[in-house]
Amino acid sequence: MDATTVLAEINGNIATVGYGLAAIGPAIGVGIVVGKTIEGVARQPELAGRLQVLMYIGIAFTEALAFIGIATYFIFV
Amino acid sequence: MSTPTPRATPAASGSSARPVFMRILKWGGLLALAIAVIGGVVGFLVDAERGLVSALVGTAMAILFTGLTAASILVANRFSGTDFFTAIFFAVVMGAWIVKFAIFLVLVFLLRDQPWINPVVMFLCIIAGVLGSLIVDVVVVATSRMSYASDVTLPGE
Repeated sequence: MDATTVLAEINGNIATVGYGLAAIGPAIGVGIVVGKTIEGVARQPELAGRLQVLMYIGIAFTEALAFIGIATYFIFV
Repeated sequence: MSTPTPRATPAASGSSARPVFMRILKWGGLLALAIAVIGGVVGFLVDAERGLVSALVGTAMAILFTGLTAASILVANRFSGTDFFTAIFFAVVMGAWIVKFAIFLVLVFLLRDQPWINPVVMFLCIIAGVLGSLIVDVVVVATSRMSYASDVTLPGE
């Protein structure tokens, strides 16, 4: 039997796999940030303004991760 | 007999956050100008006109896409006071987020193979723009003045 038998072959652009990997972390991060903000606004609606600003900072950091991750895979592949 | 003191009615409006987001957008625009100038000069020195165009495109993409979150929050806050404000707010902000990433993916995919783009210069300008906007966000939020219990409306108001 041939020692280099191919069991599985992947075709296409590997950058799409990179996009998938880069999307996992920010998706979880933004989910937690938004979920906790909804929880906070539901408990104390008068704090909505402050919570929105804090939510924005959380979203900004997680989306930075996504932008850099996606751009890396698509530009250097 | 004493008249009952009016109790504060909670209203999830978030309108007190408006000045903060306006400042974030303003300083983000100024940062974009600075990165465009510095990146453009460096890009021009590295790869002539190709580098200059790549730097400008990369900076524009970074600032446009990071600023869109603040802009979407400002737009969503226009619906404050409506019955379904919380639902509308998160629908607008998260919807803009998803659309933004879809457009970013398509743009990066299309621009990558263009002959007039230097991918490395564009990538570095995207990173500079994203990290710079993070710094602007943190500085603006840290120096902003927001009171606790900021969105209270009293009965009859």
